[in-house]
Amino acid sequence: MSGRKLLMTFDVTATSHTLADYRARGGYQTIEKVLRELKPGDVTKEVAASGIQGRGGAAFPAGRKWGVVHLSDGQPHYLCANADEGEPGTFKDRWILEYAPHLLLESMLIAAYALEVRHAFVYIRGEFDLPYRRLAGAIEEARAAGLLGAPLFGTDFSCDIIAHRGAGSYVCGEASGLLTSLEGKRGYPRNRPPRLTVRGLYQQPTVVNNVETLANIAGILANGAAAFKAVGTAKNPGTRLISISGHVEKPGVYEIEIGYPWRKFIDEDCGGVQNGVALKCVIPGGISTKVLTAAEIAPLTLDSESVEGAGSSMGSGGMIVIAEGTCMVRLLQVMLRFYHHESCGQCTPCREGMGWMHRIIDRIVAGEGRPEDLDQLLRISRMNDGTTICGMGDAAGYATVGILAKYRDEFDYWIAQKRSRYDGNLECRRSS
Amino acid sequence: MPQIFVDGRAIQAESGQSVLAAALAGGCDLPYFCYHPALSVAGSCRVCVVQVEGRSWVEIACNMPATEGLRVLTDSELVREHRKSMLELTLLNHPVDCGICDKAGECSLQDYHYKYNGQPSVSLDAKVRLTKYHPLSERIVLDNERCILCSRCVRFTREISKTNALGIQERGDHSLVRAAEDGSFDKDAYSDNVVDICPVGALLSRSFLHRARVWYLEPTPSVCPGCSRGCTVNLWHRKREWKLHALDPARNTSIERVTPLENPQVNGPWICNKGRDLAKVFDRPRATQAMIKGTPVELAAAVEAARELIGAARRPAALVSSWGSNEELAAFHAAFGARFASYVKDDWLPQPGEVVEDGFLIRADKNPNNAAARARLPSWRERGEHFAAGTDLVLVWGEGFDLAQVPTTAKTIRLDGYASADHARADVFMPISIQTERRGHYTNFQGVVSAFSPCFAAAPSVADAEALFAALVAVTESAA
Repeated sequence: MSGRKLLMTFDVTATSHTLADYRARGGYQTIEKVLRELKPGDVTKEVAASGIQGRGGAAFPAGRKWGVVHLSDGQPHYLCANADEGEPGTFKDRWILEYAPHLLLESMLIAAYALEVRHAFVYIRGEFDLPYRRLAGAIEEARAAGLLGAPLFGTDFSCDIIAHRGAGSYVCGEASGLLTSLEGKRGYPRNRPPRLTVRGLYQQPTVVNNVETLANIAGILANGAAAFKAVGTAKNPGTRLISISGHVEKPGVYEIEIGYPWRKFIDEDCGGVQNGVALKCVIPGGISTKVLTAAEIAPLTLDSESVEGAGSSMGSGGMIVIAEGTCMVRLLQVMLRFYHHESCGQCTPCREGMGWMHRIIDRIVAGEGRPEDLDQLLRISRMNDGTTICGMGDAAGYATVGILAKYRDEFDYWIAQKRSRYDGNLECRRSS
Repeated sequence: MPQIFVDGRAIQAESGQSVLAAALAGGCDLPYFCYHPALSVAGSCRVCVVQVEGRSWVEIACNMPATEGLRVLTDSELVREHRKSMLELTLLNHPVDCGICDKAGECSLQDYHYKYNGQPSVSLDAKVRLTKYHPLSERIVLDNERCILCSRCVRFTREISKTNALGIQERGDHSLVRAAEDGSFDKDAYSDNVVDICPVGALLSRSFLHRARVWYLEPTPSVCPGCSRGCTVNLWHRKREWKLHALDPARNTSIERVTPLENPQVNGPWICNKGRDLAKVFDRPRATQAMIKGTPVELAAAVEAARELIGAARRPAALVSSWGSNEELAAFHAAFGARFASYVKDDWLPQPGEVVEDGFLIRADKNPNNAAARARLPSWRERGEHFAAGTDLVLVWGEGFDLAQVPTTAKTIRLDGYASADHARADVFMPISIQTERRGHYTNFQGVVSAFSPCFAAAPSVADAEALFAALVAVTESAA
């Protein structure tokens, strides 16, 4: 077992996502307690005290984000749950949306109370079908039960939650692109300043949080910040939902206590690499995080400090296991094709750079590569680093730099031999 | 009023201004594509990078608020490197077909490339191929390969002309500027401004397409006579030293294009599409031959005849042109103000299909100088368009009047710059110069006075109305 659990605390059954089952598990008692006992500012203080970090990838402390919003400033505030889970390798929020939609709704109500929000949104990925139906069903149930859009528990607080389906764009998972899309415009990310907590949705202060971050709020308020801090590591408390995929025996969504040993998680909880092949490397949290080799992850634990110490990041928790014998040139080709396809085209470095990198890697794979192409890829990555409107330009650079730094020999081999080092080499080393 | 320091030089910024705007106003030279002072900030071209002193990264100046004491560098090693990178990326898929591009010579990308980059492309890969000739409207064509997606045109239709006619389709390096399918860009009365604000040669005016290299042209500041707004414009025509004998001679004296001449008091940096088509107004067939009762005569003979008619008249009347300059109106007033019953007529009325009036620039009064003319004289239209009984001489100055309306008992003197069959009915007809051949001022409906200069010399057989009135008054007084 991968440590203590905060979200996967119930058995998934055919009805466990319904309001009745959620209520039977003690659901919607926390919001009642919060409304009766706490002031909005106290909720934010409690969340800040819990030390919970954003689970969407940037690991920004949720309490700090909330603290920027000025209460009672006479402006409407908005809250938006980012359920546009588009980072390749990541499918953890889907578990919450499918199996615990009411947990998300209750947490959002608590957050809405803390931030003085009257209209909250869930921007859900367009390709999510069952998650959307479950979420929409939960919203309907909650509305019928008087939990949404009506004054709650004898107070004058009310909040409505609207689920909005995206149309399949990766950049709409970036908070400002998401809000622009939610406003009905083309999903272009926005320049900062102003920050979204100052001018976000409809130019009003807006908090955008990841679904998993929000889903933890109900637990934090139910059991107190101290109980949350007791789980995980001191600097990085709580649990993480890890969606693991790739060459692994038992892929899926796992909840781990932060600080859980990495190799143990892959080898024991997830059944190890497929067919007992040796592990080559792992992409820790979605393809925008730098790849870590098997040797690098061996001593690491799953918490941001440890992973960042190794030069990568926990990202969005989308872990991709890569077995020995995988061609990293083709892997990078797939990644760059993705980034090229998903670049929104708003700002110059990403619009032109993604296409350029994609064309270079395609040319290398076609056997037309030149030795200087690799330096060109690194140079384009550097051109994109920190010069784009959103983080996507940097992300493609991280992926490229990460793979080229560790597996440059495979690229040199392909350029020289015009084929993959692994073509025809079906025998891979078995792990001892 | 925050003070910022650009490369150590103190610059006074206005509160709320961006570093880029303040630096440009302060005389600094920073490159930019997507920024436009009249449009919202897009921050997408990323070439206006600056480095805040003490920081190890660059930021875009167009979205950086100018705060008190901010110190930025525009020429540090890091800024130069990033600027060069951005220009390299901007040019990556640009076809560099300057040889056949109308924008060449006034293209920001061309200028910045030579100034800040200057190196050939290092890419080995084929450029992205897109539509080369996409008709956005009946007036404008788009070359998608040249487009650098600065989104100025899109923001123009959203924020200035408010038609929302343009948008961007597809994404990444396949993004395409496209017009809304309901044809709203065809109906946009200000659509041609996007050609001016396009920093490269992507948006092209059909009327100017491949007509001339801009370095053979020169602008003459002028005033659009299309309505009482009186937008200041530049009339572009061939430079004197580039007049070519091989060309159709008319091309040497025709207006090749019209662009706005920025004027914050009147039109800002914009003009309407009617103003772009001024060449059609000025290039109409000209009247160059003086006539007496339809018989061609020398100009001097016609002046002599007019002088006699004026001297003999008991109750003369005059219809004054609302296209006359302030100087001509003053000369008219000095000459005939006391003797003539004078009224201002509308030389032009709204044409069928024309936008009559909107909330932006276009005014319903389609004459440039009604404000100055009406300051002294009553309106012919408001008078009910009839002459006082016993009128024995009518002087008609300008267009927009049919001599059949004059009582048969009255003699007629007609002054006009353009040819018309009606002129032969006048007892005396004298051709006069038009706006592109003389110097003068118009007063717009707000009372703002704007000057226009001559582009071409008038034919020797054409009189200048100002001098003509002065000549006639000298003669009339000596006769009296």
